[in-house]
Amino acid sequence: MRFYGVTVEERRQVGDYTLLRYRWDGAVEPGQFIMARAAGYPVTLDPFLARPFSIYDYDGGVASLLFEVRGRGTALLAGATERIEVSAPLGRGFDVVRAGGRAALLGGGVGVAPLKILSRRLAVLGVPHDVFLGFAHAAAAKVAREFPGAVVATMDGSAGLRGTVLDAAPNLGGYPAVYACGPNPMLAAVKRSVGDGTICRLSVEERMGCGNGSCNGCVVPVRGGGYVRSCVEGPVFDAEVLAW
Amino acid sequence: MVVGETEAVLAVELCGIPLATPLIPASGTLARESLDEVGGVYGAILPKTTTPAPREGNPPPRIAEAPAGMVNSIGLQNPGVRRFLQELDGWDLGVPIFVSVAGETVGEFAGLCERLAADDRVAAVELNLSCPNVERGGLTFCATPAAVEETVAACRAAAPGKPLLAKLTYEGVVENARAAAAAGVDALTVMNTIPALAIDARRQRVLLRGGLSGPAIKPVALRAVYDVSRAVGVPVVGSGGIASGIDVAEFMLAGATAVQVGTASFVRDPREILHEFAAYLAEMGLAAADLTRV
Repeated sequence: MRFYGVTVEERRQVGDYTLLRYRWDGAVEPGQFIMARAAGYPVTLDPFLARPFSIYDYDGGVASLLFEVRGRGTALLAGATERIEVSAPLGRGFDVVRAGGRAALLGGGVGVAPLKILSRRLAVLGVPHDVFLGFAHAAAAKVAREFPGAVVATMDGSAGLRGTVLDAAPNLGGYPAVYACGPNPMLAAVKRSVGDGTICRLSVEERMGCGNGSCNGCVVPVRGGGYVRSCVEGPVFDAEVLAW
Repeated sequence: MVVGETEAVLAVELCGIPLATPLIPASGTLARESLDEVGGVYGAILPKTTTPAPREGNPPPRIAEAPAGMVNSIGLQNPGVRRFLQELDGWDLGVPIFVSVAGETVGEFAGLCERLAADDRVAAVELNLSCPNVERGGLTFCATPAAVEETVAACRAAAPGKPLLAKLTYEGVVENARAAAAAGVDALTVMNTIPALAIDARRQRVLLRGGLSGPAIKPVALRAVYDVSRAVGVPVVGSGGIASGIDVAEFMLAGATAVQVGTASFVRDPREILHEFAAYLAEMGLAAADLTRV
């Protein structure tokens, strides 16, 4: 895997999450991800692997990531002030061009990340859309201010409605196109809630080794049996393809 | 450094097969999708292990990180040998193609070898002897020297003209190497991952039981290559934690004729490893093929 040293433009805390912006020139599709780490070999023998992150936003010269510090890899990345190492954008994103009519975007926790760049793309394409965001609590929900007009729910009721992101989107069955990212149980619930014939695209969050299809570590089960790699065949899947 | 300038310096020969560089991808660590990134890096290409029938592989989680490495339990996910051969042209980078095979019985190993022996696109076959042998209660084909000898002998008979490599695990590696050599193997890949476990302390459960790879196992693999290359007369392909050009040199100095780069290619561009190795050779005034004879 090829990594590129990039300049950190900005790093700030948004509630529970870290927003990190870095200079990047090149094509970025909504729903794609990158592998990122604080520094390259041999500094990062431990933690060894880079971490996968959805691209949160991209304006043509600066890309950004939104992530939660969960372990040493993300802690080091959140502490990087000048340079980080990233791969080029990877994987299959949201095929937004095919989606007609009003779209619903649903994000759970840090799974809201790819919805920012997706919302930007939909706006460019003139696709009207509603955003629904679910979080555990208010500190995580602070990122919702980056999504003007979004309907917010928290599990403990400390911000927005009390409940899940699906409680925030009671009319999901009426949308012709639904895009979602979050934990697998949330994505499975979204899949069950959409109407027949709905375009439903789900971005999965899986542990990854390589990010480029080599290690077969990030697989998801597919309908009809077997597994496919979320890094190459995904991370965005047609809901119909997934087994759950 | 331009690799073209150092072509002759990097070349080695393995089982009579000329390799432009001593680097080979370890099985299961190079996706066809990223093949175009590694042109000129590898002396041979080695796709993920193929089996007689398609295999789904293990349910997730399949990987866990470790200091300087990772634990994996992929379960040989692959589309089976029939589709593998249909898609084999997609692996053509203009360098020899080595094919890694695994079976559940000695007969399956021999059957795969017979099939691949008839295919001119296949330069050599690597026997992945670390998988469970269903005829021996699930012990691996590497569990005893007798099992290694039986399997290699059957494959040798099934593919008399095709160079055969046997990939060994660390346990009993010298005795198994002797057994494989006695059965007519052409080269030995030393070594596979070593048994490892990952625990999820937050959930109080086993996360993963699998094999450890990466720089964490490098000194162990180096010792195995050194011991095996002094015990048997067949060439050794070093494998285990190689992540830099100096690592390549160390394995060759320990007795390897070529090396496999696996897990490190997830965190580095393997081209950097080749360039570091070429820089080392230039600094020392040596050619790659000289190192093995030191």
